[in-house]
Amino acid sequence: MLVVKGVDIYYGKLQVLWDLSLQVGKESVGLFGPNGAGKTTLVNAIVGLVKPANGEITFGGRSLLPLETHRIIREGVAVVPQERELFPFMSVLGNLKSGAAYIPGARDKIDERMRFIFDIFPVLKERLGQLAVTLSGGEQRMLAIARSLMAGPKLLILDEPSSGLQPSLVSDLFRRMREIREKEGVSILIAEQNVRQCLRAIDRGYVIENGRVVIEDSAEGLAHSDHVRRSYLGL
Amino acid sequence: MLAKLRQRDYQILIAFIIVAAILAFWRPHVLISGLQRGSLYVLIALPVGIIYGILGILNLAHGEFMMLGAFFAFSLVTLTGIDPLIAMLPAFPAMFVVGIVTYRLTIKHVVRAPLNQFLLTFGLAVMLTEMANLIWTTRPRIVWVPYAASSATIGPITFGTFEFVYVAAAAIVLVGMFLFLTRTRAGLAAMAVGQNPRGAKLVGIDVERTYMMIFSACLAVLGPIGALFLIRHAIFPGVGGPFSLRAVSIVAMAGFGNLPGILVWGIGLGLAEAFVRSFRGWGGWADIIFFGMIILVVFYRSYQRRVR
Ligand SMILES: Nc1ncnc2c1ncn2[C@@H]1O[C@H](COP(=O)(O)OP(=O)(O)OP(=O)(O)O)[C@@H](O)[C@H]1O
Ligand SMILES: [Mg+2]
Repeated sequence: MLVVKGVDIYYGKLQVLWDLSLQVGKESVGLFGPNGAGKTTLVNAIVGLVKPANGEITFGGRSLLPLETHRIIREGVAVVPQERELFPFMSVLGNLKSGAAYIPGARDKIDERMRFIFDIFPVLKERLGQLAVTLSGGEQRMLAIARSLMAGPKLLILDEPSSGLQPSLVSDLFRRMREIREKEGVSILIAEQNVRQCLRAIDRGYVIENGRVVIEDSAEGLAHSDHVRRSYLGL
Repeated sequence: MLAKLRQRDYQILIAFIIVAAILAFWRPHVLISGLQRGSLYVLIALPVGIIYGILGILNLAHGEFMMLGAFFAFSLVTLTGIDPLIAMLPAFPAMFVVGIVTYRLTIKHVVRAPLNQFLLTFGLAVMLTEMANLIWTTRPRIVWVPYAASSATIGPITFGTFEFVYVAAAAIVLVGMFLFLTRTRAGLAAMAVGQNPRGAKLVGIDVERTYMMIFSACLAVLGPIGALFLIRHAIFPGVGGPFSLRAVSIVAMAGFGNLPGILVWGIGLGLAEAFVRSFRGWGGWADIIFFGMIILVVFYRSYQRRVR
């Protein structure tokens, strides 16, 4: 269970998150908001890439703030960064393995997880030997998602997983997320611009604007909220 | 970054083989001493290439660290009377520790800071040389072991055989590094860090520790190399300087991050030098030709870039 409580984050003198609180239990949670709202900043704070000035972030009751990024990841948090952050001159296979190789407990299950991933993204199987840098943008996105799944995480954080993916894959992706959440009991946090599709995959969601939570509601509640309908669903 | 031999390297490799074949008939001793000398350059340039590829730091002090390893072996030999070959063993961990201390105190703070790291490693080179001056003075030192002067004669030519250990050592270091980087988990982590440090953190790799271990391991191999160097060369505090220059040049000529290229260029430059030296009275030109070639290669590169 992830708990973010009263977090303030600054870049230099500029404050981008204001007293922000959110929770992710054994559920899928959406994180919505316009460009520059602070979604990526929050994701980076959870994995220790930026440190909050105030507030607390705990995972399974343990504070993540004193931990370095690689320790947080080894605690069972996997992330698909907005910028993908693949290893460009490694093969698809090398990138996939890197997702599991440094996580205690994931190392021994590489083959099993690989089958699971090829089931979701059959394209990757055809491209195992190809260097990541030569993949198309969408294929790179799939690889980044697949790499995070290799870790067999307790908490999976996806930062705009749908961007650059063809529409049929997007709905498929969100269906799979639902599946993973139900079958494997993974907690999921998804930051997304594609609110309409994402609402199908999540149980609850938050809307962040200017670094503050402005709405917190169930998926259904969000779908019926006037503000969400107007600003995010274009209705 | 460890990509297979690039097309260009193939062409150069083939050119070298042709040159080597001609030399074998015309001036066979050039072929042998060039290979031996070139191997020594490869030995020192390879770790420079690895540190550059993974930490993004061009270590201008690598020759000086080799000098330090050689002096460490020298002190051990003179104090305890052991054979310099045995001194290779403690020299490895000793230089590893030097690596950790150097990393913690200095390198750590300039990883991926282009200008400062130049100044820093240049400063380190000067400091190491001066430090050696204070401890061991500028007097050249040698150790004498009977096997160092061993030689063999084939037909009309006679050559030193001990120097073949440099060839063997270069082969061992090259293969060892290759296997480490492609077959072990720590090596693959190092490759990941070299390609994308942020991505590496996000898959659970301790990037900071990887930097430290790679830097220290690359310095550690200089311990045994220094001991081997000592057996065949007089050492003094400034002895590492030319090797630093050559190592950095070889890495630059191979194209940054291209390890097989380091092998090709290191041996090639060793051959070129030996060739120039084989003309009586022209030995002094060896350095000029060496660095002249580097300037040509750099010009050629930027010319190619402009054409494209
Ligand atoms: N490294 C940085 N230095 C300074 N300001 C930054 C930095 N990173 C982000 N910001 C600023 O912080 C604010 C929040 O950025 P963030 O990336 O968290 O937004 P986001 O919600 O992820 O947006 P998007 O939907 O475009 O990805 C933005 O105004 C951005 O300009
Ligand atoms: Mg973002």
